[in-house]
Amino acid sequence: MFRAKRRTVITAAAVIAVLLAGALAVTLLTQGKGNASDSMVEYPVGQRPVAPDFTATSLTGTPIKFASYRGKIVVLNFWGSWCPPCRNEAPMLEVLQQLYGSKGVSFLGDDVADTPQNALVFDSSVHITYPSVNDPGYAIVQDFSQVVPVSDTPTTVVIDRTGHVAGLVLGTVTYAEMTKLLSYAAVTK
Amino acid sequence: MTDVHTPRSSESAEPADEATGPFGQEDNGEAGGGTGGTAVPPAAGAGWLLWGWRQLTSMRTALVLLFLLALGSVPGSVLPQQGSDPSAVQQYYVSHPWLAPWMNHLGLFNVFAAPWFAAIYLLLFASLVGCVVPRTFRLVGSARTPPPRAPRNLARLPQSASYPSALSPDAAVDAAASILAGHRFRLRRPENGGRPGNGDAGHWVAAEKGYLREVGNLIFHLSLLGVLISIAVGGLFGYKADELVVEGGSFADTTAALDEFHPGRLVTGSDLAPFRLTLDKFTAQYFTSGQSAGEPESFSAQVTYAATPGGQQRTDNIEVNHPLSVDSVNVYLIGHGYAPVFRVANGQGKVSYEEATPFIPANTGTLLSDGVVKAPEASLGFMGVFVPTAVMTANGTLESLFPAADNPAVSLIGYSGNLGMNTEVSQSVYQLDTTGLTKISGSPHLMYQGQTWTLPGGRGSITYVGLKQWVSLAITYDPGQVPALVCGLLAIAGLLLSFFVRRRRMFVRAVPAASGAGSVVTVGGLTRSDASGGFEDEFASLSAELAGQDRPEPNYQSETGA
Repeated sequence: MFRAKRRTVITAAAVIAVLLAGALAVTLLTQGKGNASDSMVEYPVGQRPVAPDFTATSLTGTPIKFASYRGKIVVLNFWGSWCPPCRNEAPMLEVLQQLYGSKGVSFLGDDVADTPQNALVFDSSVHITYPSVNDPGYAIVQDFSQVVPVSDTPTTVVIDRTGHVAGLVLGTVTYAEMTKLLSYAAVTK
Repeated sequence: MTDVHTPRSSESAEPADEATGPFGQEDNGEAGGGTGGTAVPPAAGAGWLLWGWRQLTSMRTALVLLFLLALGSVPGSVLPQQGSDPSAVQQYYVSHPWLAPWMNHLGLFNVFAAPWFAAIYLLLFASLVGCVVPRTFRLVGSARTPPPRAPRNLARLPQSASYPSALSPDAAVDAAASILAGHRFRLRRPENGGRPGNGDAGHWVAAEKGYLREVGNLIFHLSLLGVLISIAVGGLFGYKADELVVEGGSFADTTAALDEFHPGRLVTGSDLAPFRLTLDKFTAQYFTSGQSAGEPESFSAQVTYAATPGGQQRTDNIEVNHPLSVDSVNVYLIGHGYAPVFRVANGQGKVSYEEATPFIPANTGTLLSDGVVKAPEASLGFMGVFVPTAVMTANGTLESLFPAADNPAVSLIGYSGNLGMNTEVSQSVYQLDTTGLTKISGSPHLMYQGQTWTLPGGRGSITYVGLKQWVSLAITYDPGQVPALVCGLLAIAGLLLSFFVRRRRMFVRAVPAASGAGSVVTVGGLTRSDASGGFEDEFASLSAELAGQDRPEPNYQSETGA
């Protein structure tokens, strides 16, 4: 009798342990990644979301209308001077600006959760020449996140000449990814 | 919770009810009550699955899982949690640098989102659903079941009485049935009108009342399922986030802006309510005298917000237990602290950094806070403490007397060198990695508001410009919250019904009197449970009424439902 009860308890405990382990495994396997890895998204022509329009103030106080960039490919980089990966990729974006600026590609930064003072000091220190708008409260990020997954800083969005999002890179962008996206954005038909 | 893997109850063993007892096999307790199904595993094959399912849905397993769930919740209450107090988690990392990473690996800083917690929850969910669903069907059946046949010997029931009647047995039973129907009893009469030849012989009426008890039971079980489903809906479609905002600062409800973001499984960035919020001013009041001196009296965060980009601007005060509700999202005030404003200049005097810098409270009583200042363009970094009401003790240590900023001061240690901020690796804005940095001064440098510390060696300077406050906001969207509350209330209501309404049965049998005229009527009654008491009185009252009155032909429900 006692032995039977003990066996019952042991088997019940074993079943619970096995089920718990199974559920744990399923949960772990189906769990989303805590930190999204760097990834590139490309939108085929015809399926490209319309980039939201915005008007903002540059770090130096000049009004910037995003609509005025229509007709050009725009590289919009969401960054902050407090963000090491953003600071790391900025010089590479400046190089691309030098290479592609004369080919109808404009670069624009969206400086988030930052002060213009800190951002300008950084830009100056690494000789960034393309402008940035001041977006301390992530308002422009929020506008874009309604149409494309701008879920972290840095994120770089490439908009084609028709004002549609051709693609984006979540996280640090590489030179190869940028040149690929720029070529991709050039195709609009 | 009851086990459902016990033998079928009286509903499926109808012929036996007359012989075994008026409440059949259910008389022994709750329908379906059991101890947990067979614990002996089958030999092999699909039987294992069935056996495993029975084990999972047994009461024993559910109780063990419930216990594990309670046990697993303990770290969530004892340890700081990312969702509710991220600054305390940061502080824990500082205080326990070797232990904190291990605890983080185990999910102990985010217990309620940890995989092991979800595993327990999911198993409990499966166990409860596997138990409650079949039980619900059985309760529906039980509520629709007509009363059982009258036992042969009513005198053996807990309550019984008999009285002589001038009426014939048939008429006496009819009169009794009429009275019982008037008391809203559900009635059952012999199927064949009491003619001899089968088990229904004789003149009797069986009556039952208190079906609300089963309805209550049913409501309770369905509500329990509703609670589980509501929690699941909240987990799938809801989200929780935290955001630290300095006075004058703003944020938009978007994933990139949020310090912490814990989305439900089916939530994407575009699902977030697109509100925008600015912290205009934060006010904290503290008791200044008495035993509660230094303790918080009130907190108020004055905010301006718009439910949608470009929408109408509104203002509100967020206070403790008074969240801001915008577009079904609640914004709670969960923490506050100070953000001294620093200006850092490099060796050439050029300003490299000017910003309000949040310091995280290390002592929640006095709000003595830790923080760091990073000015990478000036190759300068600082770490130190902010003291809201500073006093230098006799032994030379800096302490805070009061949480309000009555005499604010900062004490900083300076470092120079490459802060390592031009890498792909993110850094915490609350920590300074001093590896490879040169310490500027041997002892901390004390500064009061407006003072500048000119660093030795022409490295630059830092000025303590002013002071702002910050608040920590918890943003929660839980579409299952209201349904869970409604279901919870319904569950309580159902439970109360099942506690206080008693299922009671009355039986009346009449036999011809020995004298040949009239009849002898026997009345029996019993209740399955009498938690609220009073059945004895009800039985006595009914018996007296039956004995004293004759009524015309009642409407009754026969065995066939006619």
